[in-house]
Amino acid sequence: MIGFWRTHSSTLITLFLLLPALAGFFGLFFYPMLLTVILSFRPEGQAVGWTLENYTRFLADPDGRWVILLTFILSLGSTALSVLLSVPLALILREKVRGHRFYRLMVLVPLVVPGLIGALGLLLFWGTRGWFNLFLLQFVPFVQRPVAVNYTMHGLIMFYVWLYFPYTCITTLSSLESLDRSIEEAGEVSGATRWQVLRHIVLPLITPGILAGSVLTFMAAFGAFSVPLIAGGNYRPLAVEVYKQISVPIPARWSAAGAIAIVMGALQVIFLSLYMRFVRRGGSPQ
Amino acid sequence: MRLVRAYGRAMWDARLILAYTLLVSLSLFILAPFLMIALRSVGKGWFGRLWLPPQLTLDWYRWAVEVGNIPEVMKNTLIIGVIAVAVSTVIGIFAGWAFGRRQMPGKEVLMAIILLPRMIPPITYALGVAQIFYTLELVDTYLGVALAHVSVCAPYAILVLSATFEGLDERVLEAAGVCGANTVKRFFYVVLPLIMPGILASMIFSFTHSYNEFTLTLLTYGPHTVTLPVRTYLAVGDGYWEITSAMAMLMVVPSLLILAVIQRRAKPEKLVGGFKGV
Repeated sequence: MIGFWRTHSSTLITLFLLLPALAGFFGLFFYPMLLTVILSFRPEGQAVGWTLENYTRFLADPDGRWVILLTFILSLGSTALSVLLSVPLALILREKVRGHRFYRLMVLVPLVVPGLIGALGLLLFWGTRGWFNLFLLQFVPFVQRPVAVNYTMHGLIMFYVWLYFPYTCITTLSSLESLDRSIEEAGEVSGATRWQVLRHIVLPLITPGILAGSVLTFMAAFGAFSVPLIAGGNYRPLAVEVYKQISVPIPARWSAAGAIAIVMGALQVIFLSLYMRFVRRGGSPQ
Repeated sequence: MRLVRAYGRAMWDARLILAYTLLVSLSLFILAPFLMIALRSVGKGWFGRLWLPPQLTLDWYRWAVEVGNIPEVMKNTLIIGVIAVAVSTVIGIFAGWAFGRRQMPGKEVLMAIILLPRMIPPITYALGVAQIFYTLELVDTYLGVALAHVSVCAPYAILVLSATFEGLDERVLEAAGVCGANTVKRFFYVVLPLIMPGILASMIFSFTHSYNEFTLTLLTYGPHTVTLPVRTYLAVGDGYWEITSAMAMLMVVPSLLILAVIQRRAKPEKLVGGFKGV
């Protein structure tokens, strides 16, 4: 016994240190996942038997396929817009302009504030009685009636951008700030214009940072639940659809919810692995 | 081509104006929702095309406290947050030490596996967590909701703390040993001050995640464990926007305090969790 301890003590200590993490992982993630998978193959409301019906029903339904498409439109649209917003923003914030501390704080706000409160404020601001429409009606000619933003697809994409662009922006900014300025100076000395420096030196070097940040934004937007739940209206992405299955019908349809949730998780993992592959091949600098 | 170049030069000349336009409109975009919530929470009789509410009142706050039961909800949220932070910090310290400072085979793979919950949408395993907690009767208990939060918080704690421990310089410890410090002294006077910022950062981030966690709470809460995000959701469902706004104002205060601490003490990159484990 003591001999065993002598030879394996290092391994045993490591194992002991990892024990809480592994217990948490299996108890709070792996086993629940397994349960969800099993549940999704059970006939509705029964603890025995196997069926594919939950999947076929959801995937064969045109509404189900629209939900999947909608989720991708929302998450990819908001990711693209976040990148378009973040890159210029990070380039400006790097320059330490006056008040840059305040603007950096602004970028952090949506991360720290509960998403539901953000969504509530956005609904109030962009609503038909909110300041946005008030401004349009009073100061912009030819606008006779309020413009609909809330509960529309473009409105929802904009809300997503508000909530999730900080992931992309912060990651882009940190990779910009770790960039060596002398490389850019070398480019300028060699006669490159500012645009050429930006296009051929800075952007390729920060592309991995941008892509990594956009992955975080995509994951958050794909799994978004609270915001579309209260601000989505008729646009219900996958996460909301899962919750509807267990909250609306009586009795709750846990198996249907499980099947949709598994489809959702599988789609995210497949998409992310394709994306990472793309990032490793094309995105990283040589 | 000349036109493009002239256009480019004009843009470059106006770069300061352009930059500030972008920054100011971004700030408006971010802050306007909170301004609207703040105005709505103190306004009375605010209908039609008015920029500001015609009358001011604090009634909605009274309603929020009395009917919305905000003090009770705040207490629940804090208790759950503290339990979740404690559990995930313990997990993070143990696992972070193993990942940051010990040799083991397959470290990268194991790390990727433990960080896997960040790659899967929470609703997927929240369904299973709810099922388990129903059988264990953990639903509607502080411990149950807090444990559900741990599944989100712990990966961040492990990520932050393993980076902290990895950055601990072996030579500093040796120097302390050479100077005659024994193990206990070394721990309290050298190791602890060095790792304290990392542990604090991990605790702040875990708390933020627990404070904002909605999906897992919604599937495990009950009448005795209503937390702030769930309370907001229920209030939005009730449709009284003024009272909901007053509640939101009360809830946003702790978030802003956290924001101030993060701005001073920690690197924001860590808040988004880095991308080591993605």
